[in-house]
Amino acid sequence: MIVAKQKPIAEIKEMLRPYQKVLILGCGTCVKTCFAGGEDEVATLGAALRLAFGREGRHIKTEELTVERQCEDAFIQEAVPAVARNEAVLSLACGAGVQAMARRFGKTILLPGVNTTFIGVLEKPGLFTEECSGCGDCELDTFGGICPVTRCSKRLMNGPCGGSKNGKCEVSPDIDCAWQLIIDRLTALGQQDNLKRYIPAKDWRPSLSGGPRRLLREDHVV
Amino acid sequence: MSSKFEPKIHVFYCVNAFAQGVFSPPDAENAAFVKSIKMPCSSMIKDVFILKAFECGSDGVVVIGCPSGKCKRVDGNMRAAKRVAWVQKLLDEIGLSGKRLVYTVGDETDAATTLLLKQLAELGPNPFKPVEQANPK
Repeated sequence: MIVAKQKPIAEIKEMLRPYQKVLILGCGTCVKTCFAGGEDEVATLGAALRLAFGREGRHIKTEELTVERQCEDAFIQEAVPAVARNEAVLSLACGAGVQAMARRFGKTILLPGVNTTFIGVLEKPGLFTEECSGCGDCELDTFGGICPVTRCSKRLMNGPCGGSKNGKCEVSPDIDCAWQLIIDRLTALGQQDNLKRYIPAKDWRPSLSGGPRRLLREDHVV
Repeated sequence: MSSKFEPKIHVFYCVNAFAQGVFSPPDAENAAFVKSIKMPCSSMIKDVFILKAFECGSDGVVVIGCPSGKCKRVDGNMRAAKRVAWVQKLLDEIGLSGKRLVYTVGDETDAATTLLLKQLAELGPNPFKPVEQANPK
């Protein structure tokens, strides 16, 4: 899922300062799971903003709504009446959701309420970790399901750097050494031979380095 | 004309936090208005409930859970304490001050409320005025 973090109240307040009527629009998929932009966060942020402005003697009107996914036009359409009633939309979706909204509502002010941070997983309650960089050329089969592109701090593709200690990365003791994990897992799977395979220099063209990417499925185009 | 500040307090409490299942204001003389809200577990408290209390004009909020290891839902009291700590930071960010919010357990309610009242005396009334008060019809 996409992991995001809500922006600080002060930053959101500055963005909203020119507006009196604001729609706070949540997204009920990824950002809901990471406690950044679901129904609860929309309600909390609405109350927090009313209080923050109210203590300065200014009252803004906030409307709250959460759609299933802001990155899909079919779900965005639910928000049409609410968008029309407000001067600006504070979107708590990831960057894709905000841009999908901007595409749908050409004359509406769209403001991002969260910082989109990474593609990750819920490792344990309250902890989200980055697992995928979206490099466009997945080689997880070689590495036992552990991605060195994302999880090795140095993005090494042909074995460990030698700087890890007790399975932890030398960059930070909070980071597991991806290569330790890869070796442990390949050993458990009986696939140590994968470690002998030479991985040539990575072709970064399918990644964002090759410019904005698009995916076309002809069979779904009508 | 100056009048004495009589704080309004919202109390969210777990039904299991008190022997009789009922919260009674410890010092009614110091708190002009105490509104208590009973919950099946203190973990039922949500960030927005606390903020709504302040939006309704509350000067301070107390959340009361069960003592450590006594929660009937295993870790509901821990969750409530952590949530309160989170909202305290949010209140600081908003500019209302996290000292307007305290978490305590049933046995320590009197001491926590006394501390809250002392902090509220220093902070003064909630600077947020509900829309009805700011713009009377």
